[in-house]
Amino acid sequence: MVTLTIDDKQVSVEKDATIYDAAKAAGVNIPILCHDKKLKPFGACRMCLVEVEQMKGRLIPACTTPVTEGMIVRSSTPPVEKARKLVLELLMLNHPLDCPVCDKGGDCELQNLAYDHKVNSNRLADEKFHHEIDYNNPLIERDQNRCVLCGKCVRICDEIVARGALTFISRGIETTIGTEFDGPLSCEFCGSCISVCPVGALLARPFKFKSRFWAMTKKKSVCGYCGTGCNVTLGVKDNKVLTTVYDENQGFHNGQLCVRGRFGYQFISSDKRLKTPLIRKNDQLVEAGWDEALALVAERLKGAGSAAAALATPRMTNEELVLLKQLMTQQVGSQNIDHSAGYGHAAVSEGLGKSLGVAASSATILDIQKSDLILAIKTDVYETHPVVGFEINMAVKNKGIKLQIISDKRGKLSRLPGANLLLNKPGSDVALLNAVAKVLLDENLAVTPATPELAAALNDFTPEKVAELTGVAADAIRDLARAYAAAEKAIILFTSGLAYPGADAQLAHAAANLAILGGKLGKEGSGILALQEKNNSQGALDVGFVPGQGGLDAQQILAGCSAGSIKTLLIAGENPVVSYPAQAQVKKALDAVEFLVVADLFLTETAQMADVVLPVCSYAEKAGTFTATDRRVQKISAAIPAVGQSKPEFQVYGELISLLGGQPAATQAEAFAQIAAYAGISYAELGEGGAFAAVKLQPVQVVPKVVTVAVDAGKFALLTGAALYHCGTMSLYGEGTVSVCGEAYVEISRNDAAKMNISEGAEVKLTSSTGTVSVKARISPRMSEGVAFAPYHFAEASINTVWSGAAVTGVTISK
Amino acid sequence: MAEAIKILICQGTGGISAGAKKVEAEFNRIIAEKGLTATVGKRCDVVKTGCRGLCANDVLVDIVDDKGCTTYDFVQPEEVAKLVDEHIIAGEPLEKRKAKPYYNKFVDAQQRIVMSGCGQIDAESIDAYLATDGFKAIKKCITEMKPAEVTEEVKKSGLRGRGGGGFPTGLKWSFCAASPGHHKYIICNADEGDPGAFMDRSILEGDPYCLIEGMMIAGYAIGAQFGYVYVRAEYPLAIQRLQKAIDTCYEKGYLGNDCMGLGFEYNMRIKMGAGAFVCGEETALMASIEGERGMPRPRPPFPAVKGLWQNPSNINNVETFANVRHIINNGSAWYAAIGTETTKGTKIFAVTGKVKHTGLVEVPAGMKVRDVIYEVCGGILNNRKFKAVQAGGPSGGCISAELLDTPVDYDSLIKAGAMMGSGGLVVMDETTCMVDISKFFLTFTRMESCGKCVPCRIGLKAMLDILIRITEGNGRAGDIETLIDLGTTIKQASLCGLGQTAPNPVLSTIRYFRDEYEAHINDKRCPSNSCKELLLWQVVEDKCVKCGACKKACPVDAIVWEKGEIAYLDKEKCTKCKSCYDACRFMAIE
Repeated sequence: MVTLTIDDKQVSVEKDATIYDAAKAAGVNIPILCHDKKLKPFGACRMCLVEVEQMKGRLIPACTTPVTEGMIVRSSTPPVEKARKLVLELLMLNHPLDCPVCDKGGDCELQNLAYDHKVNSNRLADEKFHHEIDYNNPLIERDQNRCVLCGKCVRICDEIVARGALTFISRGIETTIGTEFDGPLSCEFCGSCISVCPVGALLARPFKFKSRFWAMTKKKSVCGYCGTGCNVTLGVKDNKVLTTVYDENQGFHNGQLCVRGRFGYQFISSDKRLKTPLIRKNDQLVEAGWDEALALVAERLKGAGSAAAALATPRMTNEELVLLKQLMTQQVGSQNIDHSAGYGHAAVSEGLGKSLGVAASSATILDIQKSDLILAIKTDVYETHPVVGFEINMAVKNKGIKLQIISDKRGKLSRLPGANLLLNKPGSDVALLNAVAKVLLDENLAVTPATPELAAALNDFTPEKVAELTGVAADAIRDLARAYAAAEKAIILFTSGLAYPGADAQLAHAAANLAILGGKLGKEGSGILALQEKNNSQGALDVGFVPGQGGLDAQQILAGCSAGSIKTLLIAGENPVVSYPAQAQVKKALDAVEFLVVADLFLTETAQMADVVLPVCSYAEKAGTFTATDRRVQKISAAIPAVGQSKPEFQVYGELISLLGGQPAATQAEAFAQIAAYAGISYAELGEGGAFAAVKLQPVQVVPKVVTVAVDAGKFALLTGAALYHCGTMSLYGEGTVSVCGEAYVEISRNDAAKMNISEGAEVKLTSSTGTVSVKARISPRMSEGVAFAPYHFAEASINTVWSGAAVTGVTISK
Repeated sequence: MAEAIKILICQGTGGISAGAKKVEAEFNRIIAEKGLTATVGKRCDVVKTGCRGLCANDVLVDIVDDKGCTTYDFVQPEEVAKLVDEHIIAGEPLEKRKAKPYYNKFVDAQQRIVMSGCGQIDAESIDAYLATDGFKAIKKCITEMKPAEVTEEVKKSGLRGRGGGGFPTGLKWSFCAASPGHHKYIICNADEGDPGAFMDRSILEGDPYCLIEGMMIAGYAIGAQFGYVYVRAEYPLAIQRLQKAIDTCYEKGYLGNDCMGLGFEYNMRIKMGAGAFVCGEETALMASIEGERGMPRPRPPFPAVKGLWQNPSNINNVETFANVRHIINNGSAWYAAIGTETTKGTKIFAVTGKVKHTGLVEVPAGMKVRDVIYEVCGGILNNRKFKAVQAGGPSGGCISAELLDTPVDYDSLIKAGAMMGSGGLVVMDETTCMVDISKFFLTFTRMESCGKCVPCRIGLKAMLDILIRITEGNGRAGDIETLIDLGTTIKQASLCGLGQTAPNPVLSTIRYFRDEYEAHINDKRCPSNSCKELLLWQVVEDKCVKCGACKKACPVDAIVWEKGEIAYLDKEKCTKCKSCYDACRFMAIE
């Protein structure tokens, strides 16, 4: 600790603190413009200048200068005030004073500083800037006229997002923030740049002229897209969510969001939201009242027993899942409940469930930056969980944490400094992990001895053998094993979910074996972290929304519908027609089932086939808890009233339970208390940031089954996954995300494109044994020859017409 | 065999621009053609040397024979045959073509230590360097001295950084040496950007090995194994010669993992800059080496602790490193005996402007400004009246006539309101308008501001706007006060040395020549008749001596003059090019 004096107040701070940090601790306000606690010191704006007794004759920037023992700081002397005032006068010289029409008005740091320092006149005069405003993309407006060149956008894009889409160009007064070759913004549209812009130089276009900042109420919530568990603040006016508002103190991620979190909010107040229940009459879905609809559903469910089934989306709150589970298992008497198409959660439910003794990750997102080595397996975390990607980026770039990657395609991760990529043939991941485990054993690097079964099973996986199978050099496998073993703390990451059939229980077993043998479990900054797809994927497992004793899983339920053994199917929030593989079979099943109930926000492709459609609420309209992928349980509350006549599912299933003579939990707290996995967490006491549910590990070495996938010669190995801009199918109802990524595509390598003479954006035909689909081609440097990648979100030209749920699908691609 | 006849041809950038290559080719051709060696009975060697400082009088050729050294200036290729015939073959130096006495005065008034090799030895020959005790100092360091002793020797010598700030070099080295870390860097700042200053370039072009040796000594003293030379890409010849020198050092084992077989590891390479003045600032320079945009970074952390790629780094400029071998070879006491109490050794100045002999001069610290201008450089051009000298380039300030006796050392110059800087001296005479000159420097710094911090980026532009207004006759009451106010605050508030010094030319000209500012603002008059917008474009009849020089100079026949008549300026025809003003030695155009 270092003790210093600021404005006659003594304060003790950590020795790497800056004068600004110390002043904050002492309760002294020092104005800043270019400083951001998340970013490296920059020192450009000179607003934070102070006088330091020991450094006389100069003004010292508080935000970049480290404290020293006995320092005497004065934060507001006449020379300091004079300098600050001059800085503001200078900034206002060319800055257009168009505050009345600037979206930043009322939330503008320049405005506030000018006000605080009473800069109401200017001795100087100059022309205002005349830079052209950049409207070249649908989401981010760049108005260089308002820019104060604090560089925060440039720095956040480099230091946290690792995209580097913005940079300073030109010199002196001509300096501006530019893009690559001054072209349109080529980026991920996460909007981090907007979030840190202190003025109106970077604005969210979808929010333009929607509301003055102060006219909105700011409601805190948890993002309803992926499993990261980011906290968001929603800007609400007239009962509509108009924007997301940046709060640098929010969440482990300090308010940073991805494109979905920041721009994907529009689905909430979308015009396409269902306003009333719908009942199929004369083969037409017609509007109906809740009483009629619920009565109809209750009647169908009553006594249905195992002829009824429910498929839920892991976007529902834990409490809603508790009630739906109760409805099905207790009132209806069916154990046929599942989510995420069944296989989507297998890596965690079955894989980690067996290997770790608990269906959850051993590590949290916070462990990433505390690790010594990150082993990312088959994960495009920047696309599936972008904010986790930021954590990895900061870990690697700021802390020098090593990054090892096993993947069947390159990606943003493999471009990080020092990243080591083992590029394997699609479908060979488990064999590769086994080979790594084999090296651990052979070179006596294992901390925990292998069971005889595992040791015997691994005998087939010598690096040389596996090298042939995977296309990864044997030495690279050995080096990876050695690096993993040498790291005191190592964290394994993989992605699981609907689009990742390859991330199955076997992969989880193989990964868990590494952690067990390597002795990486049970310590901070180390272990396994499964990055699950949806905002409450982990919650659905913790609630146990999986087939009960003798119950059918999702695939069996659909088969049962086709076969006629399932007569009533309740689909809560899932959109199997688009998101489940093998579309033809899904459609056949939903056509065949006698009675289909769909609860959703929208009239989805699945809802259109329903007999009863129940309009339910988005996360912005309801209360409850979500459990992030690392078992962080967080509470949400309603930011706006329910849209139209929609109801929170908590209420819908509660009413159905009552109609069937049961007793639903009266409150969310009551339902929450029923979740055994959350014993020890009090619903009432859950505050901002939530609480981590305990994970008790009982590691077991499970021998993974290795299925080798071979694609016929001449065919492409088609991989499925998520696009950065989308999560499931819900983001397709957010105009923001759709505006930057609105249609299906397939990524192929440059060489393949050249061979087949396919140009960027050309329409190509994908044909598999199950069908054909036409999509746009994207030529991508990250793909290897013979490998193709397609995201699964899109209803039109849906990839599930050619994809039947295999980890790797053989397809032909033609023009 | 008798001593060879040497023909030294100045081939720095200045010499080559003046045609030195053609002169050299001509000498070689004639020597071969005439079989000169046989004819004279001595070897005749043409040696291309570096710059000797008097580029304005290039091509300079020295013929060194048993009669000593004879210097010819302004040599043209056509004259070579005659020089060979008469001087070399007939042994009769061409008296008429010899450089006039000014040359000896220029040379003799100097004390050349750093530039001792420049202009004397073949810059591209390691053997020539070795013949001047080359690499003796580094060998002495490695074999006879501990690293700390080397630093101590440099400390005792009193050497201070020649890049501008004048920080004691030995002390700087000791900081970096004391920093924990295995990877340390020696960086040479050869991003010489001050307008008119070219001493670093001349050293690189004329004696590149002495820089390499200096950096090696620093590397040994500090414990660094790698050196970067950051040279601006606008110095192609310097880069070419330095690269050749580095390559040769690698070939001959002077650089590498085991330098000279003495177990000392030292590698180095050149990093070319893209010509940003701000990259002379050490943190910006390091950012540039790292491949980032050349923008200064806040200090602390200081480079000695966290510099290049976050490793301890020591950065000095070319001239500083070039001093080092002489200190080691001759001892710190010898070095400390030169110069003044606070400034030891010599300093190279680039004297430009309204002075008779512009060029590079190396003088012992403490010489009076007056002597540099009048003794070494021959005084003011056209014998006009001295007005001021701008010392320290765009970061420095001006020294007025009253302070001409200021000694050139770090502290005296600062006391006079200027600074040593990298050693630029811009001499101004009565035709120079001080408002205009500060406008000139501010135009430069405003262009070169990296744009990072607000005071420098916008503040300099605001100051320049006011200066432009003043020189255009639109000055307002209060402008001077605003300039002082802005300038003072910009100095205090800016991030790096550029902004912290950029207002100096304005502030110092206001300090010494406030009346000129007031004349511009209040009387809309430029006392030096230099600001075009304020000129009356007429002949001052009582000053006109009827010489007609203005008429000869006028490109558009706007001057009416007959022999013995007072000239008349036809404003209709005049294009305001100022040729007549410049041509008139009697200040008769206003």
